[in-house]
Amino acid sequence: MRYRVRHLTEYQYSSAVTLCYNMTHLLPRNTPKQQCLSQRILVTPTPIYQSAGEDYFGNETFYFSIQEPHKKLAIEVECFFEIEEEDLPNQLQLHDMTCGDLRRLLAQPWTPELRMVKEFMLDSTHIQCSKLLRDYAAETFADEVPVLQAALDFTHKIFTEFTFDATATDVTTPAETVLKERRGVCQDFAHFAIACIRSVGLPARYVSGYLETLPPPGQEKLVGADASHAWFAIYVPELGWVEFDPTNDLMPNGQHIVTAWGRDYADVSPLQGVIFDGGETHSLSVSVDVQRI
Amino acid sequence: MTSTGSLSAAASDDLQPQAPYAQPQGAYDEAFDFARAVRPHWQLVMDNIARLGDDAMQDRYRRAQRILRDDGATYNLNNDPLSPTVWSLDIVPNVIEQAEWQIVERGLAQRATLFDLIYQDLYGEQRLLKEGIIPSEIIFSHPGFLRQCHGLKLPGTHQLIFHAVDMVRGQDGHFIAIGDRTQAPSGTGYALENRTVVSRVVPGMFRNANVLRLSSFFHTVRQTLANLVAHKTDSPRIVVLTPGAYSSTYFEHAYLANYLGFPLVQGGDLTVRNGKVWMKSLNGLTQVDVILRRMDDSYCDQSELRADSRLGVPGLLEVARNGNVVLANPLGSGVLEAPALLAFLPQISQFLLNEPLMLPSVRTWWCGNPDEKNYVLANLEQLIIKPAYRSYNSRSVYGHSLDEQTRREIIEQIEQNPHSYVAQSYIPGAIAPIWNAHNIEPRPSIFRGFTVADKEGYCVMPGGLTRVAESTAEAIVTSLSGAMSKDTWVVSDQPDNSSLPVLDAQPRDRAEASNLPSRVIENLFWFGRYAERAELSLRLMRTIFKQLNGIEPFPPESRDVLLSAMSQLTGCLPGFTEDPELLENPNDELAALVIDGERVGSIKYNLQSMLACGEQVKEMLSADTRIILNELRDHILAVDEAYRDGLPAVPEESLDSLVTSLLALSGLTHESMLRGMDWMFQEIGRRTERALQTATLLKATLTSHLPSLQQQQILESVLLSVEALISFRRRYRTRARIAYGLDLLMIDASNPRSLIYQIDQLRKYLNELPRSYTQSSGLNAENRLIIKSLNDIQLADLEALALIDEDTETRVNLEQLMTQISDQLDQFTSLLSDKYFDHTAGPQQLIKAQWKADI
Repeated sequence: MRYRVRHLTEYQYSSAVTLCYNMTHLLPRNTPKQQCLSQRILVTPTPIYQSAGEDYFGNETFYFSIQEPHKKLAIEVECFFEIEEEDLPNQLQLHDMTCGDLRRLLAQPWTPELRMVKEFMLDSTHIQCSKLLRDYAAETFADEVPVLQAALDFTHKIFTEFTFDATATDVTTPAETVLKERRGVCQDFAHFAIACIRSVGLPARYVSGYLETLPPPGQEKLVGADASHAWFAIYVPELGWVEFDPTNDLMPNGQHIVTAWGRDYADVSPLQGVIFDGGETHSLSVSVDVQRI
Repeated sequence: MTSTGSLSAAASDDLQPQAPYAQPQGAYDEAFDFARAVRPHWQLVMDNIARLGDDAMQDRYRRAQRILRDDGATYNLNNDPLSPTVWSLDIVPNVIEQAEWQIVERGLAQRATLFDLIYQDLYGEQRLLKEGIIPSEIIFSHPGFLRQCHGLKLPGTHQLIFHAVDMVRGQDGHFIAIGDRTQAPSGTGYALENRTVVSRVVPGMFRNANVLRLSSFFHTVRQTLANLVAHKTDSPRIVVLTPGAYSSTYFEHAYLANYLGFPLVQGGDLTVRNGKVWMKSLNGLTQVDVILRRMDDSYCDQSELRADSRLGVPGLLEVARNGNVVLANPLGSGVLEAPALLAFLPQISQFLLNEPLMLPSVRTWWCGNPDEKNYVLANLEQLIIKPAYRSYNSRSVYGHSLDEQTRREIIEQIEQNPHSYVAQSYIPGAIAPIWNAHNIEPRPSIFRGFTVADKEGYCVMPGGLTRVAESTAEAIVTSLSGAMSKDTWVVSDQPDNSSLPVLDAQPRDRAEASNLPSRVIENLFWFGRYAERAELSLRLMRTIFKQLNGIEPFPPESRDVLLSAMSQLTGCLPGFTEDPELLENPNDELAALVIDGERVGSIKYNLQSMLACGEQVKEMLSADTRIILNELRDHILAVDEAYRDGLPAVPEESLDSLVTSLLALSGLTHESMLRGMDWMFQEIGRRTERALQTATLLKATLTSHLPSLQQQQILESVLLSVEALISFRRRYRTRARIAYGLDLLMIDASNPRSLIYQIDQLRKYLNELPRSYTQSSGLNAENRLIIKSLNDIQLADLEALALIDEDTETRVNLEQLMTQISDQLDQFTSLLSDKYFDHTAGPQQLIKAQWKADI
């Protein structure tokens, strides 16, 4: 399947910004099942310095700084993708390593891969393991349950027990609060799932990207209705990282476009940096358009 | 464990010197062997101490203290500008013989090589983690492992430029490493200062001891930093980046910057433009090639590292990444300080170097390993528990000192997060003798050695920083702060004849040498202004005290004018200007204007502000200036004391020494400072302030209409306060007319305290300032203001100024002219500040919380 993604980010400042330095994770990376065909990024006003690179996790980065005074900053990204579908039901059936086995394996890591996967089992900026989270997830990830089945069950559990609510949280809301409130957005659900999985001693990572919203039959797809999305992945030996989307209660397959992955949002935040001047208030608008072509 | 012996006992028998204290239990003794005889390499030092005797040693000790204070050698932990913590130094050196040192030296060089390779591996291939040589969670959970620095590469073979190791001697005398410093290792500057001071106070001892010199080490530092960009430039611009005057080791930053000949900059002095780093200076922006970094990793760049840092340079990491600037040490090197690494160093050494580790580390257990955790929990009493990573607030816990409850808490914490804890066995450290008020006393010691990368490998400083516990009872030398330091002598059989090229071999053009960061210029400008402001307030204050307590009666009208002038001059308003009650009982208010440091405009406030500006530009001040500033600090404390219970009986007495110090300061500025831009701006500050204050004084004292006796008293008081009374009497006899006074105070160009003199000086200085290239022809705005002020004064009709307006009963013309001059000078300073000082406000973060994926 082929997609075109257009992602427009606009900042409006109450007074002119004289200088800015920004690191972005806006350009999607390649993955084993996702191939970038072409991409471009356009920043206005034109940066005096820009540089594309690759970060620690192999994600694409784009760094820029602007020295001319500006009250509006626009970042426009356009890319084309080829994504392969996978036989997920088959994977689920074939891969039957249990949570108990995986935990035992990780306790005595004997391959480079197992040693490196530790990075996704520890606390990170937005993820703090806790007993509360462990208690919530322990039954689902019990020793005898196959890892992938457990992850699928857990995805469903979050989907049914939590309410989507764009007003309840922000990026800093801790997983325990999300658990208490039982509401949040995709980012919270992803963070919550990761925190639970790490709390039960298994590796999980954060995936950011886009999702094609299927239009209702007979209706034209709305441009700009889609937005950036987030979900999680769990590690199993041999298969590697397998993705789950608790917001939509499914395993991403063909309709999820990956931008970047990391330990949590902080590793892959789309735009970070500092500005000089710019007044007290900023307004931000983001529009994403994901079209099948 | 020890006893203290008197010096006379040691000196009495030259043939069989007895150790002045008993054999320490369980510890090596640096100076005395098991038979309690002086070790041969200590003989010379011990003989010298004995020969000097008690009085001379005490005298040397006091001299050392004075030199340290005058050098501004502080280890600041408080922000009190009046009593900074002076660096604590023992005058008895720690002596290590060369043969033994060579073993340590090789060990340190190998260790630096090893840590360099660890850095490269962790931020590159990570073979150490993949192969399980280092358990990966030690690195992955370390907050100092900065993933943003992945792939960062310095030009040249070495990534780690500086490395320092804390060591103790075990009971058998062997050195054991107890910790590594890799982020921004401190101590080299203190070691150098210790050497300078000790060699000055006990020159005889030093001269004959064949001590290896430290200068070669600093020469290598300079070479190495320059070589980092040798592929790009022959004349690299190198700066020392400090967190600022409130950093505890700020003295060292300033000291090293001066010694190495590099500008000392703070984060705000640098800016990233066009993908490069620049220093904001008087001449505009100057590109920076190499940064000797004394700031912790995470504070260096708000755009990618800690966003709440107030010290960093936004965008710096990206410039380092693209290779347009080199930071030494590189960002991310803090992770190497993790105590947990020590547990794995022997294996790491085998893996990376294929060599055994020469300098052993203290036994370290990492609790992430279940067996080691069990050992630690079972032997808690004998161990020191540390967080597995080192951070600002990381504290070590001594197992034997725990009460039952804390013990349970610690065990609970370890069980919860085993991989976050390590335990180390406790080694007391060798006993070193110190000179402590008439006696030689034993103290446990710790030693920090330093290495710097050079072309072949690593160069080790021949010496280092020895620190000893403050008291005999203290068995543990904790931090830099709580300890006393010692110069460390590596002594050879032969004199150190190595001749080095002069340190400053590279040519530095004058323009570059005078190219100072804007912040430095601004601080010197304000240094001058505060000094002048304090002096003029002091002078008027003295005059008031003299007049109020004088033999001749001083009528209330005169008193009121002088007192309200005091309020106007200090800016402490309304003060005397509106309160009749206060005028009747002025003592408390006057005392407050002298010593209330919290009150903006008071004399103490101005002096403190001046000292604070001086502290900010410590590296620019001459040794003599620092001596005077120290005297000034003492005088301020003396005034505080004198005024403790309100106004003293002779209140002006203690103020005299303050005025004298300020005069010495301005004299020194005139007589010994090169006429560079630093001098220029300090002078501009002084002249502007004196002009402003004089205008305020004339307006406040001479414009109101008074009866003739009172008028004369006021005029004489003003003349007295500016030291012009004698000249006035000589010139005009006793005819105390206002117009004559104005002649002397305003338009007499030969009076260095007249208004016109200040403004004419300003006119001259302005012509010397750097001009921007884009300047249009004709006079610039600040020049215009000064020339206008000059003309206003020159064209003034003195008789007309002295004329009393019938309606208002005041000298309206004089009042107007002085107001006009003040306004013009205010405008002048703001123009100057806009043009030459830096006004960038701090950066703000793009608000992260707003950015949110919302499906």
